[in-house]
Amino acid sequence: MHDNHPIAQEELMAYLDGELSPDRAATAAGHLERCRECQDVAADLQGVSRRLRAWSVEPPSLQITETMAAALAEPRPQSRDRISRRSKWLIGLVAASVVVLVLGSVLPKMMNQAAKAGAVARVVRSREMWGQSAIGDLITTQKPMIAHSAQLTLTTAEFDKARGAIEDILKRHKGYIGHLNVAAPAGTGRSLDATLRVPDDQLAPTMAEIKRLGRVEAESQSGDEVTSQYIDLDARLTNARNTEQRLTDLLRQRTGKLSDILAVELELGRVRGEIERMETEKKSLVNRVDFATLNTTIREDYQALVPAGPFSTLARFRNAAVEGYRSTVESVVDVIAFLLSNGPVLLVWAAILFFPARFVWRRVRRNPTQL
Amino acid sequence: MISDETLMLDFQRGSRPAFEELFARYREPLYGFFRRRLGSGEAADDLTQETFLAVIRATARYEPRALVRTYLYGIAFKLLSAERRKLGRDQPADVTSMSSDDSDERLWVRQALDRLDANDREILMLREYEQLSYGEIAGLLRLPLNTVRSRLFRARMELKGILAPARGEA
Repeated sequence: MHDNHPIAQEELMAYLDGELSPDRAATAAGHLERCRECQDVAADLQGVSRRLRAWSVEPPSLQITETMAAALAEPRPQSRDRISRRSKWLIGLVAASVVVLVLGSVLPKMMNQAAKAGAVARVVRSREMWGQSAIGDLITTQKPMIAHSAQLTLTTAEFDKARGAIEDILKRHKGYIGHLNVAAPAGTGRSLDATLRVPDDQLAPTMAEIKRLGRVEAESQSGDEVTSQYIDLDARLTNARNTEQRLTDLLRQRTGKLSDILAVELELGRVRGEIERMETEKKSLVNRVDFATLNTTIREDYQALVPAGPFSTLARFRNAAVEGYRSTVESVVDVIAFLLSNGPVLLVWAAILFFPARFVWRRVRRNPTQL
Repeated sequence: MISDETLMLDFQRGSRPAFEELFARYREPLYGFFRRRLGSGEAADDLTQETFLAVIRATARYEPRALVRTYLYGIAFKLLSAERRKLGRDQPADVTSMSSDDSDERLWVRQALDRLDANDREILMLREYEQLSYGEIAGLLRLPLNTVRSRLFRARMELKGILAPARGEA
């Protein structure tokens, strides 16, 4: 960047790539309109891109292969499971420390252990009631399972700042954007509608931070208790898996007629479909509980431009004077620019034509009838 | 149209149609990514498949921090680096094994790219062919944003110089 170019050539390239901030892009656009040198650089850059496009590749033949289909069919661990695996290590370490402390302590703490044994016995009894899988999950989800959701509507004068701040807030609270839509209709302020997903325990601090982005117009919160739904689903899933196992055993024995085997296979397919559907529902339920939903609407404070009324006579004279001055300056600048750009050529031609012209002029003056 | 990120989250929750839609959207761009850098259609097909397999297997680890596009090219870039290490070379394309249907212009472009510095070439190709933003390229190659911009400019200017003689021939 130097005096004649308010933007560097790299910035010019970034402008062509749509990578400049709006204010720098406006500067670049204005400069590019009048600077011949930068127009040449822009043309070169665009020319390179155009030439590179000549290297196209044929469309791929790849479809979803058997390997991919098999990988898709495999049960995949959910992110929750991964976290819990990591947590298990921590819990394991903490538990080991506790055991060491307990072993090194005296009788009263042994009594405490006995109380814990009673709790285990209660768990075993419950296992008989609910089955292995359901109780396993119940142990890990002793607290009621509640899917929280909230609504926030804000207005702000600093819309761009708020838009950027939302992502920072989500990053801090380990959330993500489920859906985001920004609308900028003509003649009115911009608006942002977003569905934000944040870890359940982060909902309150996230809301508190978002509320600071503007003036709160509406706020609501709700919680959907899904514990019984989850337990019911898990029990049905266990039953379906048992049915699947029994049908698989029946097929393995193959003692009936062909029509019976076909009927069993049909039933097995139906049960497996049911299991997949329930597993998806269960994962979705867990996701709803782990991640609260925060529906956010941010509207821009918008002040419509008031059209200026008719100008007074004095203002019109003043505008005319300014316009006249500007036209004069521009015409003088144009003439100087013309002389600077074409002056050397004119001088050369004047030098070449001077002597023939003088010769012709003298001849004409001596004998005007010759022409 | 449903965003890539929503599709990825749906897939994470077990939706196969969501994966199929992502596959349809990125099959061709990822194939082009490998094809231009390895010069073999077969290898490109294999690595595209490997990329999608990695996505399937690592679904649980996906976190919606970045665009799915960046995530996919991140995986693709790692697979490409492994493949290049295996092949023991660091060229964008094997010019000598190009197919006979390559036009003069395409051949010229490939040879011109070959003459660029490997890092500059990668940045240029990610921008021109994969249409990644400066920020995405910086994230992928772990470079500062300004470095990406200056190298991209340098690569384009150098390429202009290399390609310039071809104008007379065209």
